[in-house]
Amino acid sequence: MPTHLLEQFSDALAAQAADVRGAVAAIRLSERRHLTGTLWRPDVAVASEQSLPKRDEFELVVADGSVVNAKLVGRDPGTNIAALRLARPVALPAFTSAEARSGALALAFGADGAGGVSVRMGIVNLAGPEWASSAGGRIDRYIVLDLRLARAEEGGPVLDAAGARLGITTFGPRAKVLVIPAATVERVVPALLKDGHIAHGWLGVALQPVAVPDALHSQAGQSSGVMVMSIVEGGPAAKAGIVAGDIVLTVNGTPTRSLRRIATHLASDSIGRKAELRVIRGGTVLSLQAIVEARPAA
Amino acid sequence: MSAQAAQRAAVRRLRISVRAEDPALLAELRRIIVEAGHDVVDAPEEADVIMHDAQAGAEAGFAAIKETEWRALLTPREIEVLSAIGEGLTNKAIARRLSISLHTVKFHIESLFRKLGARTRTEAVAKASERRLDV
Repeated sequence: MPTHLLEQFSDALAAQAADVRGAVAAIRLSERRHLTGTLWRPDVAVASEQSLPKRDEFELVVADGSVVNAKLVGRDPGTNIAALRLARPVALPAFTSAEARSGALALAFGADGAGGVSVRMGIVNLAGPEWASSAGGRIDRYIVLDLRLARAEEGGPVLDAAGARLGITTFGPRAKVLVIPAATVERVVPALLKDGHIAHGWLGVALQPVAVPDALHSQAGQSSGVMVMSIVEGGPAAKAGIVAGDIVLTVNGTPTRSLRRIATHLASDSIGRKAELRVIRGGTVLSLQAIVEARPAA
Repeated sequence: MSAQAAQRAAVRRLRISVRAEDPALLAELRRIIVEAGHDVVDAPEEADVIMHDAQAGAEAGFAAIKETEWRALLTPREIEVLSAIGEGLTNKAIARRLSISLHTVKFHIESLFRKLGARTRTEAVAKASERRLDV
C-alpha cells in the first residue's frame, strides 16, 4: 500500500479502469473506426444513437479481445439511446447506478478497439434538472462533464469516484460532453427490448415560433405562438384541418410560448388522446381538434 | 509579370480565419497557414476560407430544444421572406413574390439577420431551422 496520497489516488483510478473493462465494448464501424458501447446487462449493450450507423448487425470487441456479434434491438433518437443484443452474454461486473452531483469527480471510459479501455477524468461540470431534447425525448438530468472525449469513446460508461454508473457519454453541440443519465437508460432500454422503439406522440407538423401580429394581440390573448411551416399529409394535424400558415396559440389550453412545453404535451401517454388546438387563420381565431397519433418510425 | 499572372498570385494568397477550441491546435493551424504563405484573419467575414477543427465546427450533437426569446421572435412576414431565401430566391424575386418593394425586402432581411444572429443568408436559414420543432 503506497503511503503517498497522490499515488493512492492514482492507483485507485487505475484500479477502477481495470474494474470497468468488462462493461466496455468496441462497436466496429469499419477496419479502422469504432464507437464505444456500454454493457448494461451481460447480453445488452447501449450506444449513442446519433453516432451509430443505421445497420441491423454489429461486431463488438469485448474485454477478453474476442468478437461477439450483436443485433440492433431498437433505437430512440429522443433520448439518444440505441440498444444492441449480444449473441452470447459476457462476464459483466456488478454495477450500482448513482445520481451525478455538480463538482463530483467523473471518469469516462471508451473502448480502445482491442478489448481494452481508454480513460478520461474530469468533474461533473453541471448536474441540472430534467430536459427535453430537440428530438422529442425526456432526459432525466442535464449532466455536462468537464472533459474532452474522442469520437471513438462516445457511448462509454461514466463512473463516479465510488465506481457507480452515472450514465453513458454523448456529444452535445460543439463537442460538449453530455451524460445520458443511468435513470434514463434504465427507463428506455427495457422499452426498447420490449417494443424496439419508444412511442412519441405526433401531430405531423413542423412548427416555428412566431410573433402574433399586433392587430391580433387582443383577440389572441397572447403575443407569440408557433406557425405551422409544413404539414405531413394524412397526419393527425392534416386530418384536423390544420393548414400551413396557421399560427397555433394553445395546445390543450397551454400557450405555445415554449416549444418544450408543447413537446411535453406529446409524451407517449398522449397517444390516442384529443389535442385541442387554438389557431389564428386569416385574421380570426378558431379551435380545432386533433387526435394524437404515435410518431411513425423514421 | 502579366496581369493574369499577378491576379493568380493574388488569388493564391488566401485570407484564412481559424476556429478551434484547443489553443494548441489553434496556434499550430495559424503557424501552418503563415508558413504556407497565407494570411490569418480574425474576422470570419473578411476571410476567403474558414478553417475549423472537426469538433469545434460540428454544430450537430444531441441538443436541447431551443427556446426563442420574445425579442428574437420572427414575424409571419419575416418567416415568408426566410422561406423564400431558403428556396434560393434573389431579393428582387422575393419582392415580386410577396408583392412588396425591394426596400421592404431588404428591411425584413436586415431584421432577420439581427434576430437570428446570422451573417449570411445560408446561416439565417440554418439558424431558423434550429428553432423548428417537428411534432
